[in-house]
Order: sequence, then C-alpha cells, then structure tokens
Amino acid sequence: MGAIYGLIALGLTLIFGIMRIINFAHGALLMLSMMVGYWIWKFSGVNPYLMIIVVAPIMFCFGYFVQRVFIKPVLDAQKDVREPIAVLLLTAALAIVFENLALMVFGADYVMAKTTVTDATIALGGITVSAARFYALILALVIAYAFYLFLQHTELGRRLRACGQDRNTALLMGIDGPKTFAIAFGIGTALLTVAAIVLLPFYYVHPTVGNVFMTKAFIVVVLGGLGSVPGALLGGIIIGLIESIGAQYMTATLTTVVVYLVFLLILFVKPSGLFGSRLEW
Amino acid sequence: MDIVQKKKIGLIVIILAIALSIPLFVTKPYYIHVITMCLLWAYLASSWNLFCGFAGQLSLGHGIFTAVGAYVTIMLFNDFNISPWIGMFAGGAAAVLLSTLIGYPTFKLRGAYYALATVAIGSGVMVLIENTMTLGPFHVGGAEGLIVRLMGNAPAYLQFMSKVPYYYLALAMLVIVVVFSYWLKNSRLGFYLSALKEDEDAAAALGINVRNAKLVAAAYSAFFTAIGGVFYAMLIRYLEPMAIAGPMMSNEMVFLAVVGGSGTVFGPVVGGITLHAISEVIQFYFSDMAQGLHLFIYGLIVVFVIMFKPQGIIDILQKYYNRFLGISDRGEDESSVS
Repeated sequence: MGAIYGLIALGLTLIFGIMRIINFAHGALLMLSMMVGYWIWKFSGVNPYLMIIVVAPIMFCFGYFVQRVFIKPVLDAQKDVREPIAVLLLTAALAIVFENLALMVFGADYVMAKTTVTDATIALGGITVSAARFYALILALVIAYAFYLFLQHTELGRRLRACGQDRNTALLMGIDGPKTFAIAFGIGTALLTVAAIVLLPFYYVHPTVGNVFMTKAFIVVVLGGLGSVPGALLGGIIIGLIESIGAQYMTATLTTVVVYLVFLLILFVKPSGLFGSRLEW
Repeated sequence: MDIVQKKKIGLIVIILAIALSIPLFVTKPYYIHVITMCLLWAYLASSWNLFCGFAGQLSLGHGIFTAVGAYVTIMLFNDFNISPWIGMFAGGAAAVLLSTLIGYPTFKLRGAYYALATVAIGSGVMVLIENTMTLGPFHVGGAEGLIVRLMGNAPAYLQFMSKVPYYYLALAMLVIVVVFSYWLKNSRLGFYLSALKEDEDAAAALGINVRNAKLVAAAYSAFFTAIGGVFYAMLIRYLEPMAIAGPMMSNEMVFLAVVGGSGTVFGPVVGGITLHAISEVIQFYFSDMAQGLHLFIYGLIVVFVIMFKPQGIIDILQKYYNRFLGISDRGEDESSVS
C-alpha cells in the first residue's frame, strides 16, 4: 500500500516540481484511470497487469490534453502571479467535472477486477502476503526506479528538470516550456495509471475513490519534499507503515487523525520535507 | 452630493427594495428556501473572502468554522437549553479561538503549503467529528449527525415554522457582512491585507506585522463563517458532519467567491447568488436525466469562469455599473478590482 501511495505521489510531485501547481484533480485522474482500466479488463479479459501498456498511453494523452486545453491558458494569464491560486482552483473544479463524468458514464457502483490474483497469496520466508499487493509493491518500485533513471539520464528528463529548476532560464536555453509542461502532466498521469492498474485487483473502484488517495498523496508529497522523486516513494512507504502499524493499536479513524497530525508537524517543523530542496516557501 | 452619489444611493435602495419584497411575490416555501440558500451561500462566500480574498490566502478548510459554530451552538441548545441567539456568539467565539490556534503555526506557510495545511486540518476535524459520539455532557452524534431539537414556532429560539423569517434573517446577515467587508477593505487593516497579498516580504519590510494582520482578519472571517454555520443548522435542523464540515462545504465557498470575484466587496455576493441559483436550476432540471450531470455542468461553469474571466463575473457587472453611473471604465470606484 505504501508503495502505491508513493507511486501516486510521484506523479503529483512531478507536476508540482515542474509547474509549481498542486494538482487537486490528481485523485480524480486516478479514478478515471481505474475506471478505464476496469472496463477494458471487463471487455477484453486480459491479465490486468498487461493493461498498463494500453491504459498508460491513453491516460498520457489525456493528461497532455488536460494541460494543453485547460491549465495552460490559466497558467499563462497568471504568469506574473507568485502563487497561482487560480490554477489550484481550476484543478479542483476539474476534479468535480471528472468525478461526475465518471458517475454519469460508469455509474456509482463499486467494482473490482476480480481475477485469480485477487485471492492468491505468496509465501515469503514464512510470511504470507497477498499476491496482488506483492505484485503492486514490485511494480511500483520498478516503475519508480525506471522513472528516476529516465529523469536523470535522458534528454527529455533533463529538460523536465531544467524547467523545474528555473523556468525562465530553461526557456532561454531553447526548451519549449509549454510542451514540456504538457509532457510532464502527461507523464504524471501515466504514472498514476500504473498505480491505478495495480490497485484494480484488490481495491474497489467508484467515482469518489480518488479522494481516499488524494489527501494521502498530498501528505506523502509534503513528507518527502515537494518535487523530490525518492522523497515521494519513501514518504509513501512511511505513511503506509504508519497506517498499518497504527491499525494494530488503535481504530482506523484515529490512525487517519495521526497521519494528519504527522503531516502538520512536518509542515511546521520542516516544510521542505525529507528530501526537499532548500528553497524558501 | 453629486449625481454619481445620488445614483449610487438610488441603486442600493432599489436593490434592497427588491430584496425586501421578494417574499411578497414568491410564496411557495420551496422557492423561498432556494432563495434563502442563495443568500446564505453569498454570505458564506463573503465571509471566506474577508480573509482569504482580501489577503490572497487560499483556505480550503473553512468548513471547520461552519461546523464549529453550528455544533457549539446546537450542543448548547440541545443539552443546556441555551437559545441559539446567545449560543451563536459562543459558536463564533469558539471559531475565533480555533482560527487563532490554527493561524499561529500555519500563517508562516506560503501559498500551496498553506492550502495543503488547511485541507489536512479540514479533513482531520471532519474525521474527529464523525467519530465523537459524546463530548463531556454534550451529545455530538458522530457520523449519524445531530438533530436540532424542535421547538415549534419559537422566535426566541431562532426557530420559525415559516421560511420567510429565515429569508429576512439571511438577507440581514448578508447586508451586515457586505457592510463589514466594505469597512474592512477601506480600513487600515484592509490596506495591510492588500499589501501583503501583493508581496508579503515587502509588506513586512514596510513595518506591517504580517502575522497579526492575518490573525485578526482570519478571526473576523471565522466568526462570520461560524454564524453562517449556525444559520444553516437552524434552517436545515440537522447537522451532518459530511455536509457541514466536509470538503464540499469548504470548496463551495471558495468557488463561489472566486467565480464572483475574490478580493472585492460585492464579488462573492454576486458569485454566491448567481452560481448557487444556477446550480439549483440545473439540479432541478438535469438531476433526473443522469446521475451527476448537474455537478458536471456546475464544475464546467467554474472551469470556464476561471479560464476566461479570472477576475470573476463582477468584472462584467462592473462595466455596466460604471456606464450606469456615467463614469469611464477605469474610473475610481470602491468595488473595483484593485
């Protein structure tokens, strides 16, 4: 579970690190990915994990489109504003649009991709773990590492990081800013898709499923440091651990409150997070 | 008194006259209820705007203030038989206390971090309310919600059988908050707030105590929001944690204020009334056609306003208003976007 939080947070941190936008539509996009994945699985019946190959490009295009059509005009209009609040609100409004679109198209039912993986277990040196969760962990780690390598070692990755560090200088160096932003948004959404697909075999999908994960993704991102890739993953695992260990000792709701408290403490004590840059916030 | 001022006073008198006479023409309780809710949302959006609009802070957790106001008042009423007329000030005071407690640590956070902190606090408080059945001698009700004890027609206890008194009450509250907004915007504190909205460091360098200015403005905002929560509770007579403290409550205030025009005196009023009216209408006509369609349309409207009219719809009205007064578009005016 923690690794999935990390994966979701990875997309959020990418979008924030590069565009300085907190994407409130992140949860809704996760839900959309899960919905699309579920219905493709339902009609084709392929192995859910194989669907990443299909759904991720679809969601990449969708993310690219969302950034181009909705976010870019507002971002351009607010170029001189230090804290683009309008963009935050825009993403929050988009979240409402997506959620209700899903409600209209897919209905309010709770659905899950029940396959052979759902109830299978794997024995790992005496500990039995759910197979679906185990695969989720492995996939999340692999994807996160691949993404990290991509950011560090490819031309496009360098371009993305350059835009995150200093937008204006990056533009002066001949980087197509808006295009890079759109790609970043697309990649962020595609990363979400991976999280969505690995969730499918053991987590129910419904139009508001995004809310469950989004607040946590925010917490994870701040914990790890906004814009930091290893931070997002580690933060996700920490929050996942707090939740599962906390659940042993207290009620689930109290655990939620504890998670919020941890989050607020980090904000007050070290807002830059575990791996955050030293930028002033 | 010149002609412009005469026209202004005339306009205010006309609007007030129309507002006061609405219950004479509209008699169906359902419509009165809808119009009252429009006024209430305009009021809540204005209360949010008092701090967040004027100071440029994005609080997405104002639902906790409606919740605290409403819960404190209703608990005092249900368990100690204290009239909501008195209880609402206790609720308001509790909200002010809470806002100050939250404000001390959070106001050093900037921009997105502040917004995230308010989201976390808002969700945390909602979870706490949902899981508290009793608090000392008080019955809280947890996720079941809290039912307001019914007294029949009891004006002394802020309960009326007819919807009309609620309408006038909402109107009075709206007028008060608008007058207060106007005063605040043109007060010393208002100037402080607009200075720190532009640049916090520069404002601090000029000798403004940024934190105190924020704390005081946030306290005003929390108080008014809490009173709005009390009114909501008395109108609906049922408190559900999700409805009164949930993200929908918090976000709706922000949407209405921003669509109307945040940081202006009349923007949130215009936004609250028009957008809520539109949402009621589309809910009425479209909710049967497909689940979620009305919220889908509502979301799209918000998206388009933010995209194409980021100053809010007040900006359009401003132009007509100026033309009516016979002054140029860029003329001096207190409700202009500054």
